[in-house]
Amino acid sequence: MMLELTVNGRVHSVEINPGEMLLDVLRRLGYKSVRRSCDNASCGNCTVLLDGKPILSCTTFAARATGHKIETVESLEKDGILHPIQESLLETGGAQCGFCIPGFALTAKALLEENPEPTEEEIREALNGNLCRCTGYESQIRAILNITHKRGGLSND
Amino acid sequence: MSFDVLMPESEDELLTLLMSENAKIMAGGTDILVRIRAGKIKPEKIISLSKVRGMDEIIDKGDRIYIGCKVTHSAALSSEILKEHSPIMLMALREIGSPQIRNRGTIVGNIVNASPAGDSIIPLYLSNARVVISGPKGEYKLPIEEFIKGPGKTALSIGEFVRAVEFEKSGSWYPLFYKVGQRTAMAIAIASIGLLVKDNNLRIAFGSVAPTVVRAYKAERYFERNNGNIAVMDEFIELCMEYISPIDDVRASAWYRKEVIKNLLRDTFNSLRKKVL
Repeated sequence: MMLELTVNGRVHSVEINPGEMLLDVLRRLGYKSVRRSCDNASCGNCTVLLDGKPILSCTTFAARATGHKIETVESLEKDGILHPIQESLLETGGAQCGFCIPGFALTAKALLEENPEPTEEEIREALNGNLCRCTGYESQIRAILNITHKRGGLSND
Repeated sequence: MSFDVLMPESEDELLTLLMSENAKIMAGGTDILVRIRAGKIKPEKIISLSKVRGMDEIIDKGDRIYIGCKVTHSAALSSEILKEHSPIMLMALREIGSPQIRNRGTIVGNIVNASPAGDSIIPLYLSNARVVISGPKGEYKLPIEEFIKGPGKTALSIGEFVRAVEFEKSGSWYPLFYKVGQRTAMAIAIASIGLLVKDNNLRIAFGSVAPTVVRAYKAERYFERNNGNIAVMDEFIELCMEYISPIDDVRASAWYRKEVIKNLLRDTFNSLRKKVL
């Protein structure tokens, strides 16, 4: 079946199998930031934003995403300038092997849009579906806290 | 893994499709797609609710709350009606999966999966929930304890689906929900406990320690008989344990689960005494 998908503001017409997952279709379209990892809704690496909310593309039918806005990490960098979340992750060493980072960046983006000044606890809560096997999570959490601090947000940790 | 995906747009269309053989209905898909991938079920057709209009309502019905089958955990967590009238439900929903899972998974999906570990099922047992079933014969309601028959087993017949769930408000009760899992996020409970206390009344339920979530009615009556107190903790625990028949599985042994429940009960009632009793 033919499907229209709006990814990062661009409309794609794509031929899919009805049972195909959003993860597979996005990767086929070239959005390789969307990682295939556990493939069973456990690790958060395939996170994309659907209408601004983080969801797992490995267990979302591509067909279900028509008529909705999909965002991947490719949309974060603009004209060679990284998004503040990406900058901050680099500064704190949040990205080591980097495999899980697209999922983290998108989940963090959704969090900061809903709650611009999250506490450390709220950050931990928001990121708890994203697994990282390198860092122990401290650096990613610090990356988001630093953004809050730079904006003049209160630190209550 | 090959199956057809059907996306009906109305309830009538949905009911027609539900008559087909080897079809599975799906809301968020956070559970069913994982089970398909693991080869545990092999449906030929998946009927997705995603395009069906409506069914995503949370309604204040006086002394009860009505939640449609497309209401996600996230939507329920931000509902003012639930915040005010069912804090126990919010406590349980916060324990579910991760933000990604809560954005897709639904409360009714939790019910239909009938997992003994389903976090949102505990508050539903505590709130005397009724499952609203729609099918060829029209609509009818079943108490949740009659609806859930065992792990993954429900009273649903062919052609039927769960349209909604409704349950009592409990805003005036003191709520408590506690879950023991292997890690904070995404963990399926090893054992969990939920309770509501108001004056001499207690409602108490356990998850992951029997084929279904269970309510310990004898323990509730013991509490009432003792005028809202627990005279002898061991007697109270004994009554709770009558409802518990845990199994050994990948997450924990039956012995461990029993010990966890006993310890949870002691800790819970020690801290409750300080707060409300």
